[in-house]
Amino acid sequence: MNEDLTRIAEARKAWEEGPLQEALKRYPYVQPDTCRFYTPLDVKDFSFLEKVGFPGEYPFTAGAFPVEPLAGMAKFAAMATKGGLPAAMGQTRAATYSGYGTPENTRDYYKGLLDRGGRAGPNLAFDLPTQCGYDSDDPLVEGEVGKVGVCVDTLRDFEIIYEPYQGDLDLDNIASNFTINAPADIIIAMYFALAEKRGIPLNKLRATPQNDILKEYIARGTYIFPPAPALRLFRDSLVFIAKNVPNMNITSIGGYHIREAGATREQDLAFSMAIAVAYLQAGVDAGLQVDEFAPRFTFNAFGGSMEILKEIAFQRAARRMYARILKERFGAKDPRSMRIRQPIGVHIGPSSTTLQRPLNNLTRAVIGAVAAALSGSTPVPFPPYDEPLGLGWSMEALQLAQDAGRIITCESKLLEYTDPFAGSYCMEALTDEIENAATAEFEKIEKMGGAVAAIENGYMQKEISRSAYEKRKRIENGETLVVGVNCFTGEQELEVTTNRLVAHPYDPEKRERAEEEQKRKLAELKRTRDSNQVARLLKELENQARNEEQNLIPILIECAKAYVTEGEMCNVLREVFGEYQPVSFL
Amino acid sequence: MTETEVKRRVRVLVAKPGLDGHDQGAKVIAMGLKDAGFEVIYTGLRQTPEKIVNAAMDEDVDVIGLSILSGAHLSITRRIMELLKEKGLESKMVIVGGIIPEEDIPKLKEMGVAEVFVSGTFISEVADFIQKNIK
Repeated sequence: MNEDLTRIAEARKAWEEGPLQEALKRYPYVQPDTCRFYTPLDVKDFSFLEKVGFPGEYPFTAGAFPVEPLAGMAKFAAMATKGGLPAAMGQTRAATYSGYGTPENTRDYYKGLLDRGGRAGPNLAFDLPTQCGYDSDDPLVEGEVGKVGVCVDTLRDFEIIYEPYQGDLDLDNIASNFTINAPADIIIAMYFALAEKRGIPLNKLRATPQNDILKEYIARGTYIFPPAPALRLFRDSLVFIAKNVPNMNITSIGGYHIREAGATREQDLAFSMAIAVAYLQAGVDAGLQVDEFAPRFTFNAFGGSMEILKEIAFQRAARRMYARILKERFGAKDPRSMRIRQPIGVHIGPSSTTLQRPLNNLTRAVIGAVAAALSGSTPVPFPPYDEPLGLGWSMEALQLAQDAGRIITCESKLLEYTDPFAGSYCMEALTDEIENAATAEFEKIEKMGGAVAAIENGYMQKEISRSAYEKRKRIENGETLVVGVNCFTGEQELEVTTNRLVAHPYDPEKRERAEEEQKRKLAELKRTRDSNQVARLLKELENQARNEEQNLIPILIECAKAYVTEGEMCNVLREVFGEYQPVSFL
Repeated sequence: MTETEVKRRVRVLVAKPGLDGHDQGAKVIAMGLKDAGFEVIYTGLRQTPEKIVNAAMDEDVDVIGLSILSGAHLSITRRIMELLKEKGLESKMVIVGGIIPEEDIPKLKEMGVAEVFVSGTFISEVADFIQKNIK
């Protein structure tokens, strides 16, 4: 210990035994762990270049990029209010997550966005039947067609959704997002088929499929096949995209869903990293160099909570951990491979909101967004305060959330400082703490054989259920305080009503009619397509699926072009791969 | 032995109807009720009303807890209540939890649902309700 640290240690001891002890005696409800004060002693081996570095440089603790792209957002926002976003900034982005009813309903919704000056590509929310690999006419999915997103059965549906995207908004000029996992290969094959039919080369396409199947077994639950064949499907998409569609992202990995399902901060980070490693390894095992595909990995978000400082530390630790894994384990040389690209940081979600006194959820969303702004992300207050009141947000709640983000950006100017806590004894110690805890958990999973093994044996699922239950118990026994839920509750509750002054863009009547309409159209399509060709292609798909070495994307594109349905393709794959059977957690 | 001790433990089926995979609530309730002394059977995801009613019959449960967050609570619950009636199982206690808008609660109760537990409900409230109201 150098002389300075020795002196600090002595001074700390004197302070702890003297003034701190006295104060703790005087305020008996204050516990040592609720008045923590950090000193250089907490970050003894701290080396700025090794632990933090410059923004956009290894190990990326300070930031994934040299500048936060939206740091100049104030100016950008002002431009937006004066006459729309600058074309170049909106052009290759996808719209916000959207889609409902039939493909026609969703097409009309996007057409409306374009008519109002939007230039963004579709960011498709699929209904649950599509996400789970069932056609709209499957008896198992009755009542769910077109509900939480748009239904897609065949390429015909993609052709309809993309009708408004022609000319200077054709597929080579927009970006598309597909929130789909288990049948992601089929959906992207449909997109490639659409591009080929329109004569647009695949290397001009920009898109982001969520394509993060492994977290579906732990959270969110839209799995179909067991994890091992699911990873093979992931590999097929990775290899095909890396070789043929260089501007397309391969996956958008999400710790957010895992945290919302009850994971602790450390589990969120450890499980996300273990899953990312499984995906990266799949690419390497397929014979690719890591730098050929890792730059096309994205993260959609990690989770968040109300604990601002720990969440900032989490974001810093996540960037450093991922960078180290890429560099040290996979031997990446391209810095782009080592970066966590994510549209949202510190993504708090519905699990941070309360039904009681729902306006408080705006405060909570702002806390999450402040943490995001202080850790290198755009502040996107989420969710709108009326989230727990039912499905769908009021325009009032949406605007309040949006404006809160604008206030943080334009008025608080938090984004004008990159990693403002760098070098803080507290922040560096917290960052180390979270990284160490997550690394220990990550190594435990690696010892089991990695993410796939830890899902097959039910480890991750059970751990998340346990964490969720423990979190719930802490709220119920008052150990964790939630305002308006287990503390500060009283008789003077005000009833908060939400206003729906502007009609929702999704027409509820159309949504109700969607199932019948889609079933009718699907029956018609099945009558008019070449059924011999369909049967031949499905047989060929089955043969290729049985050969683990075979990349399935080309045959899936052929199937798509022949209007084979998603359910037909999934049923063949169910035959070959089997279906995932969840493990018991009780 | 007291009377309560010879009585068998109350059996609860926690079911997740439909394709929605948001099962944190269902799992937490299942674990909590188990710790509170109930026999708990969890169906897993993607259950049709038919599967749920069959499971309730096969497992001979006293209580059926439905966790629904997809917005489809009215149609799903209606179907389940119909099926229970068809099978002569209307004496089973049915409780519903999830994202249920306030205006739908009376509609569910009219169908015969014993109680609706919205998000944020303490597990102890659910356990107490079952204890007090089970016949």
